[in-house]
Amino acid sequence: MGSGSKKLLLQYTTAILLIFLLTWHLVIRVPALRGVSTFAETLASEEIYHEITAYGALLLLFAYTVLLHAFNGLRNILLEWTDGKYNALITGTIIILFFVFAGLATYTVVGITPPPASG
Amino acid sequence: MAVVEKLKEKENRPGWIASINPWVLKIKNNPERVAFVLHRITGLLMALIIMAHIYVTGTPARVGWDAWAEEIAKAHGISAVTLYFFFFAGIAWYHGLNGIRLLLVEFFGVCIGKPEKPKPPYISPSLKACQRKLLYLVFILWAILWAATGYILFAS
Repeated sequence: MGSGSKKLLLQYTTAILLIFLLTWHLVIRVPALRGVSTFAETLASEEIYHEITAYGALLLLFAYTVLLHAFNGLRNILLEWTDGKYNALITGTIIILFFVFAGLATYTVVGITPPPASG
Repeated sequence: MAVVEKLKEKENRPGWIASINPWVLKIKNNPERVAFVLHRITGLLMALIIMAHIYVTGTPARVGWDAWAEEIAKAHGISAVTLYFFFFAGIAWYHGLNGIRLLLVEFFGVCIGKPEKPKPPYISPSLKACQRKLLYLVFILWAILWAATGYILFAS
């Protein structure tokens, strides 16, 4: 898994990336910037389908980055709380969870079909 | 003797409850500690909510667009969906803003200051004006952005 300093560097690097990716992810949910009047309209099926097909790669980069940052941080907290007693168990569980949710995020992008209205 | 050693060890490692307990932490006039504990709590919650968020946003691919439309229809006014987003936004704003502060100070060395002799009364650089201002800025921006998010979610 690499040294602790490399994991800290991973945490900082993903954090810097997330500033931009999360800002984009939040900005596209602001109704005024999308030319609609309600938050729910930004989540309409056609809008979501367009986002996933047009920005699929960016969404996946966001998902992988956020998962790396979240699970690396979660592992750190759990290891501190348990005084490093269950290192292998915690690290193993975290790695499995990462691949499960990264797989789910990937399926969301590659397995998407057009909504009935536009299909 | 062994008991004393054990007690000393416990004093140094008070356990996970103490790490989030404000009475044990003595947070009076210690906003840095408050920021740290909040970063931990919001980080932990974010990790859990991100898993739920990825699962829920996969609904169109996993279940279908009808199930998605059913959920989105509830995203009006004060509902379970908008409250979930409001709660999620609150912890994300804090974790993000405080994370930027930590990056600036720890990674880019902003507000570290020049080395100086610890003349009494010694005040740690982290408690001096620049870093404190950054910290208060985080709290102020958090309140503003969370309120703005609430307006977008509930007023529409």
